[in-house]
Amino acid sequence: MLSLHRDWDDIMEKEDHQQGEEQEVKICDSSSETLATSLSLLGNHMFPDSVQRNDSSDSQLSDLAAAVEPCLKSEPSDHVTRRENEGPENGVPTQPADTEPEDADVENEQSDSGDFVAEMLAKAKLEEQGIGLKGRSSPLLEAGNDESPALMSHRDEDVTAESWRQHRKHVFVLSEAGKPIYSRYGSEEALSSTMGVMMALVSFVQSGDNVIRSVYSDGHTVVFLQKGPLVLVCVSSSRQSEQQLRGELLYVYYQIISMLTQASISRIFEHKKNYDLRRLLAGSEKILDGLLNLVDSDPSFLLAAVHCLPLTCSLRDSLSQILQKAITPNLVFSILIAKNQLLTIVQEKTVIEDTRLEPADVHLLLNLIGASSAFQAGEIWTPICLPLFNPDCYFYAYISYLDPPDCTVCLLLLSTDKEAFYAVAECKRKIEEAMVTQKSLSLIAKAQSYSVSQVGVSDLRHFMYKPFDVPDHYRQLSQFTSPEMEAPYSSEEEKMRLLDLYRYMHSRIHSTSRPLKLIYHVAERETLLAWVTSKFELYTCFSPLVTKACAITAITKLLRWIKKEEDRLFIRYPAKYSTTPNPSKSSRGAKSDQQDSTDNGFLSLL
Amino acid sequence: MNVGKTSLLHRYMDRTFKDTISTVGGAFFLKQWGPYHISIWDTAGREQFHGLGSMYCRGAAAVILTYDVTSWQSLAELEERFLSLTDTAHHDCIYAIVGNKADLTDTNAQLAQDSDGHSGDSDSLERTDEQVLSACPTPPASPVSLSGLMPHKQVTHEDAVALYGRILRYKGLEETSSLPAEKMCFETSAKTGYNVDTLFETLFDLVLPSILRKRNENQGCTVNLEDSRGGGGSKRSRSGCC
Ligand SMILES: Nc1nc2c(ncn2[C@@H]2O[C@H](COP(=O)(O)OP(=O)(O)O)[C@@H](O)[C@H]2O)c(=O)[nH]1
Ligand SMILES: [Mg+2]
Repeated sequence: MLSLHRDWDDIMEKEDHQQGEEQEVKICDSSSETLATSLSLLGNHMFPDSVQRNDSSDSQLSDLAAAVEPCLKSEPSDHVTRRENEGPENGVPTQPADTEPEDADVENEQSDSGDFVAEMLAKAKLEEQGIGLKGRSSPLLEAGNDESPALMSHRDEDVTAESWRQHRKHVFVLSEAGKPIYSRYGSEEALSSTMGVMMALVSFVQSGDNVIRSVYSDGHTVVFLQKGPLVLVCVSSSRQSEQQLRGELLYVYYQIISMLTQASISRIFEHKKNYDLRRLLAGSEKILDGLLNLVDSDPSFLLAAVHCLPLTCSLRDSLSQILQKAITPNLVFSILIAKNQLLTIVQEKTVIEDTRLEPADVHLLLNLIGASSAFQAGEIWTPICLPLFNPDCYFYAYISYLDPPDCTVCLLLLSTDKEAFYAVAECKRKIEEAMVTQKSLSLIAKAQSYSVSQVGVSDLRHFMYKPFDVPDHYRQLSQFTSPEMEAPYSSEEEKMRLLDLYRYMHSRIHSTSRPLKLIYHVAERETLLAWVTSKFELYTCFSPLVTKACAITAITKLLRWIKKEEDRLFIRYPAKYSTTPNPSKSSRGAKSDQQDSTDNGFLSLL
Repeated sequence: MNVGKTSLLHRYMDRTFKDTISTVGGAFFLKQWGPYHISIWDTAGREQFHGLGSMYCRGAAAVILTYDVTSWQSLAELEERFLSLTDTAHHDCIYAIVGNKADLTDTNAQLAQDSDGHSGDSDSLERTDEQVLSACPTPPASPVSLSGLMPHKQVTHEDAVALYGRILRYKGLEETSSLPAEKMCFETSAKTGYNVDTLFETLFDLVLPSILRKRNENQGCTVNLEDSRGGGGSKRSRSGCC
């Protein structure tokens, strides 16, 4: 450990602060072995072990109680052991390995709440209904389901079927009164009894002045998140940390807020505790489905940073200028997106002095665009709330593709004026014209994500780099850069496997109880190195046989390459514009006005 | 909601039917019609909640009020919730009442009508059936028949004609000086293409003269796809329960 640390100091002379924190720098060799062991099991057990099933599994009601039930029996240390041993290989049935738990740094208050829930359950005799939630998903099963999304709607799933239980990650949203609002798989209605049990759990614990946070059971993590009148639940057989799963639930909450605003949701439930929120979310399930798929497959969410498409500085600047010139009163953000990655963001001056655009808000916008791809020929005008910007007010989003019929380049304009559609659409025509004159579309078409081979470091297979060193006065959006996932990570399964490894590394780095600065992790099929400093967060993946020394040299080269390319890889200087000499209302200023209109809208529904 | 507005527009514009991705907000389309561009708004429900409905209808030359023939409630909601949104339409706006998903109730609507139209996959047919059967409350006028596999047609042509009459009265228009109900009530299937071209082209032909008359006013022509939030998903929007 110390020798590596010294190497490290050689590389980054500037990273002095590391020296004072030696204890925190922990090289997890032991954990690597544990994981290598579990990964080797993977090859031998590609299919789930014969699944223990209760013949009388006619009621979904028992699922949750079942998920919770094993906690009654297992000691906290026992379930931590299991989690460690099974490694980050999601849904892969690994037998409890005979290795020791390497350390306890994953353990935190989770076990306490688990015990608490268990106790509550014992009192309520809910465990009598338990049948053991043994179903585990296999990547193969998942892939099978994903192949035909058009033909098979998850809404229609038979929620009593084993396949339903085997989904890697279930997400449920319910109201405080226990009314179902959303379920990722199967219709919420068919699941209302399950939701009822979850609600019972939550209220038990609330009555004891304690909020359920999470429950572990054999192979599953159940995480609860209460936000205002909404309760969100995740039942996951992925090996993600509670913290990560809670972060994902928060994204689901934010996406719901983005459609309805926090203020109106609160008001609705103040008026009527058992209001059926699906009345207002009807048709939006696919937006939430899409979000959850993105959360699983796109590391932007994990890193809380946005991914930009690499562009030469001059092209990015010229695009920003085009956007800066096409403005109209109350326009506050102009965003250009290609291949689901950011090209540039241009912002209204006074608004951005007020606050900055958060990555999570951008993720919600990108997801919205993905969900609206059915309207490639049309121009969309929709109210949207950016929950981190202001959870209580709407923006009005104009969305249109600039390159029909290909529809890869998308323009998103955000206004604070709901009547501004035609004025904003006119901005699009100006942008279109300028882009024709400057032949921007053909230049954008040539822009691509890059290959890791361009870095010129052998053994380096993939990486994710998130810098922290953007000067604050730019009010810059958190960004990260990452090459394409190439062989051996070309198949969906392998991509997911790599992401799961990253998620595992991320959970170690960001552990609340015992954060680590550096992890060198030898797995069977690759070697990973994660490193966080005051300047960046970096995750790298190497071929398995790389030595520590090689990895370190490689990272030095990689950091140099990124430094050299940073103008191309990131949006460096976000451009600003001013739509009016003295803007009458920024989104925040317009808050009361916006709320009035929502009020009216709401009353008319009553 | 879910009555098939977006599907209708897709069928007309793209000549296809797919189990569409959910409508995000309103979508604005331009259709080339001879030398003219006709603008069409596809609305997305929740308009009242957001107070956007009036914007979609502002200055409209035609409004297409769409319901689902298998859902009596979808017709009722057109009147209860959506008619008032048309207040901002142009004063000589014309109204069409369209019963979509006719393929579910009428055998002759099951045949593809467009030359290049072909029906969607049977999966989505089954899916819609299920939704409709489980979702629709028993309407007072036309009870649900559970016989046969086809969902019972809950809204008859006469129901639509009656609604048309009430709309004219609401707008303060004389039936004699307005377009006749027979001409303005359609039954369509976005799935098979049945009557879809007829619907749009009839409307375009009807609005063009009035647009040409107003040409100097420099106003575009807007056709609105106004819907009912009821439809297949009426379980989500029981009226008056709040
Ligand atoms: N059988 C049948 N289903 C339809 C028809 N039109 C739409 N649908 C289905 O009804 C659902 C809602 O359609 P959509 O166009 O999104 O409705 P909108 O909410 O009114 O825009 C989708 O599942 C469509 O596949 C039709 O003509 N026949
Ligand atoms: Mg629609």
